[in-house]
Amino acid sequence: MALGRRLIHVDLFTGAYRVSGRVTIGAGGLLSELNNATTDFLNLDEAYVSRIDEPARLIAHYATVAFCKENIVFAVLQDRRDGTTIGTSHGPSMLARGRPVQAFVTASVFEVSGEIRVEGKAVPSSILVQTQGHYLPVLSAQAAAALVPDIAYQGDLVLVQKAKIALFCIDPHKSSGS
Amino acid sequence: VARVMVIDDDDELLKLVSLILERGGHEPLLVDDPYQAMARLIEEEPDLLILDVMMPGVSGHEIARLIRATAAISHLPIVVLSARAQAVDRQAALESGADDYLAKPVVPQTLLETIDQLLSRPPTQPGGLVVMLFGLRGGSGRTTLAVNLAAALAGLGDEEVALVDLAPGGSQPALQLRLQPDANWSALPGGMSLSWDSLRGLMLAHSSGLRLLAAPREPQAPHLPARETTMAVLDLLRQKTRFTIVDTPPLLTAAVLAALDRSDLIIHVVRPEVISVQIAVHSNRALHSQQVPPAKVVHLLNQTAPEPQLLADAVSRALRAPLPFVTSYDAQQSRALAQGVPLVLTPGSGPLPTSIRRIAAALSERFRAGATPAASST
Repeated sequence: MALGRRLIHVDLFTGAYRVSGRVTIGAGGLLSELNNATTDFLNLDEAYVSRIDEPARLIAHYATVAFCKENIVFAVLQDRRDGTTIGTSHGPSMLARGRPVQAFVTASVFEVSGEIRVEGKAVPSSILVQTQGHYLPVLSAQAAAALVPDIAYQGDLVLVQKAKIALFCIDPHKSSGS
Repeated sequence: VARVMVIDDDDELLKLVSLILERGGHEPLLVDDPYQAMARLIEEEPDLLILDVMMPGVSGHEIARLIRATAAISHLPIVVLSARAQAVDRQAALESGADDYLAKPVVPQTLLETIDQLLSRPPTQPGGLVVMLFGLRGGSGRTTLAVNLAAALAGLGDEEVALVDLAPGGSQPALQLRLQPDANWSALPGGMSLSWDSLRGLMLAHSSGLRLLAAPREPQAPHLPARETTMAVLDLLRQKTRFTIVDTPPLLTAAVLAALDRSDLIIHVVRPEVISVQIAVHSNRALHSQQVPPAKVVHLLNQTAPEPQLLADAVSRALRAPLPFVTSYDAQQSRALAQGVPLVLTPGSGPLPTSIRRIAAALSERFRAGATPAASST
């Protein structure tokens, strides 16, 4: 493994499948790999596949998988530090800038709720445009499939692909702490 | 020092857990090939198993189910350690027979505490089977089922059967058996000083062979059984009798919580009516919040009225659980109650005695096979 790169565990969701596996990331975290425009695929090691209606049952295992990034609805990480660059002397991480606002997102067949960080005006369309890259980071997030709402997926950081978002709701007057 | 086997295909993880175990004073036994798991378990007889879920070819869930179905190692405490960290993953692990679940990366102290906690539990085997009749809906027929089930088990032969009434008062099982509850659990000493002689002295002998630890007749009995006392009673009965049937009130009292912890099998009694099913759904959530392993719980559909409001399929769908036990309405039950003779001990083969005998036979057969009924039924 190249210097500075490490393996992390991630849960990736398409519209019908949950895929758990390991991804090699660099200093830019998973976001950097997902936003890497030089490849349409994300390489996964030791990938285990489940269907969304039975997300704990493993139906397949493959040692190596190329995951088509276009089909990722969201990724769940248990540690936000695996998601993106941590703060440096030049400034805080993008996950620590701005003020926290509660958000609700629908993407494909999923609902995701949690906290987003907002700098400037809290206008949903502006936030989607101004957030760097193809993914919206939602912190302390909870996701569920709309048809199986009893099964919730929790993550310290959930990265929702913007192209899959149908509805993006925020309450600018309600910060996550209130 | 405990001998702890770790099954994981990740060599790095094996090394890490091995270090944690050694620092915690335990002896690690490492297995990196899940296909060798069963052979190594039987050969090395560890005190506890730490089991990964995601392994090539065979999942940790499958291994856990195999262990629970294998008499020689069915009692082995299992901790599932998995990178899949969602609530649904925890539930799946517990349903497969695991005793606890930890998400990777694991905090060493948490792992060691979990190991200590599991190793300090009283062994569930060898010994008898503790079966609890549970439900938070009053009038669901638990007491009748408990009395008949205990009597049916007693009638299977030389089985030693105890019936424990944990209701706060009223002593309904005693009334159904036409026994005078002059001796009852209100005279139990504190948990640590309980002996078999003193417990046996408080139990009422019935002509069927079962022994009843009755509740006091007065509904306002001043002393409910404490958690520790209940645990001590059930642990002692497990050692000394083949089957212990526990009848519980529709309340989560300290005694009921203790029984949830100590029971090998929890029969959740549900009537085929809307309110009963709604309460059962909430009761299942209560069991989940009490961290009762789902593998310990089975549902029993008890038809106490001639016409059920709901069909079994509808109840099963609402509960999201199978109904391995179903009892039918029996018009003779009211007569049996009036006479103080459990229906299962009367001549004839009505619907209720037939259902109860079938459940008793299943419990007996599975006990003899060495696997707990809960593990076998999942």
